[in-house]
Amino acid sequence: MPLDILLVLVVGGIAGITLLLHLTGRSRLRVLSPELAWSEWLRHAPDDSIIDVTVAHDGHAALIRTETGNGLLWSFGADTVARHLLDFDLLDHPQGFQVQFHDFATPKAIIHLDERERRHWQHLMEPA
Amino acid sequence: MTDHVTFPDAVQWAVPFFIAAILAEFLWIAVKGRGGRYETRDAVTSLIMGAGNIASGFLLGFIAYAFFMWLWQITPLNLGTSIPVILLCFVLDDFRYYWVHRFGHRIRWVWASHVNHHSSQHYNLTTALRQTWTYTFTFMMLVRAPLILLGFHPAMVLFVGGLNLIYQFWIHTEAIGKMPRWFEAVMNTPSHHRAHHGRNARYLDCNYAGVFIIWDKMFGTFVPEQEDDRVDYGLVHNIGTFNPLRVAFHEWVGIWRDATQPGLTIRQRLAYCFAPPGYSHDGSRDNSEQIKAKHLDRHPEDRGTPGFEQFDTKQPNTQAKQA
Repeated sequence: MPLDILLVLVVGGIAGITLLLHLTGRSRLRVLSPELAWSEWLRHAPDDSIIDVTVAHDGHAALIRTETGNGLLWSFGADTVARHLLDFDLLDHPQGFQVQFHDFATPKAIIHLDERERRHWQHLMEPA
Repeated sequence: MTDHVTFPDAVQWAVPFFIAAILAEFLWIAVKGRGGRYETRDAVTSLIMGAGNIASGFLLGFIAYAFFMWLWQITPLNLGTSIPVILLCFVLDDFRYYWVHRFGHRIRWVWASHVNHHSSQHYNLTTALRQTWTYTFTFMMLVRAPLILLGFHPAMVLFVGGLNLIYQFWIHTEAIGKMPRWFEAVMNTPSHHRAHHGRNARYLDCNYAGVFIIWDKMFGTFVPEQEDDRVDYGLVHNIGTFNPLRVAFHEWVGIWRDATQPGLTIRQRLAYCFAPPGYSHDGSRDNSEQIKAKHLDRHPEDRGTPGFEQFDTKQPNTQAKQA
């Protein structure tokens, strides 16, 4: 196939599909409830025993306390990603916190928190 | 030797079909309200990975092709380009694909290239296009050498390899349940390949087939999709990025970081490169056997069921050995 036609097809195809998905509402983030956060954490870390779950008011992140330590679960598109809070930096962010993981495949998560939540989460995320 | 054999680049010609089929699957899901899920950034990442795969073929494909042409010059055999020879080449190349794919899940160096194909938590036709950019660096082109030395022309071998990939496109869907029994028995199908993409303990390291599922049945790696164990797509440790560069290279970076840590023996460094994914020198990670063993500790009722047959005779709580 001529290269210019291939290029038009690939670029046009990606742009068209992106537009279609976005305009039909496929860009929405997963919204977490405490029960959903609980089950999602166990999906990612089935060996853990959960003590309790704190879901951010915007429903896009949850702090999970387990018997082996804390973990963060957050909305990732229509799905979720989870990480134990073992090797991370907690940075202030205008809308809450930015958690930087020292992991090339999962560099960071931004947690949106209001002022009241921010103090509570900071307390929960401090190393024991 | 005839070096002027030409075959079309089937994958490039299939691009319009890929786009049309994705649109058709999306519309089907939207109208029926079932049969899969689409998410914008996930799909875009997959499509960019597919475009990058074609680009990497332009940039690096000459390495494999030069190697194949060198083999073609040294082999005394030439089977020609008749239809029966092309069909035979297709079947043998699918056998080759089975082993390359199996290596891709059992050797971390090869997994580093293949992992991106499994990095989506979705399973739709865009997932089929989430392809590697780094296949050349795995040196898996060596596995094609026997075909060329047997007298199959390199252009033909690449052509049937392209057909193999095109076949595998349509099986990346939840919109199709099961095919007729005879078809499920012989061919790789959406159901078989859904199981392959599962991160559930049951489905780890199964169904490596490209076109014919018979290879998995012959070599003991076949696990049928179970109605009572819905496939959970993605990686054991799902990644948290849609950035195509991170998707393409994250496992290579992981290998580098692991293998260059201070204080390891040469054997441990090599194991971080070539042992099955999940290896760790200090036992801090689980490989697929250990994940299955832990699952059976939590769910002993699954012992001996598909995907756990190898634990048939072992006692509960047995710890799998570190790879």
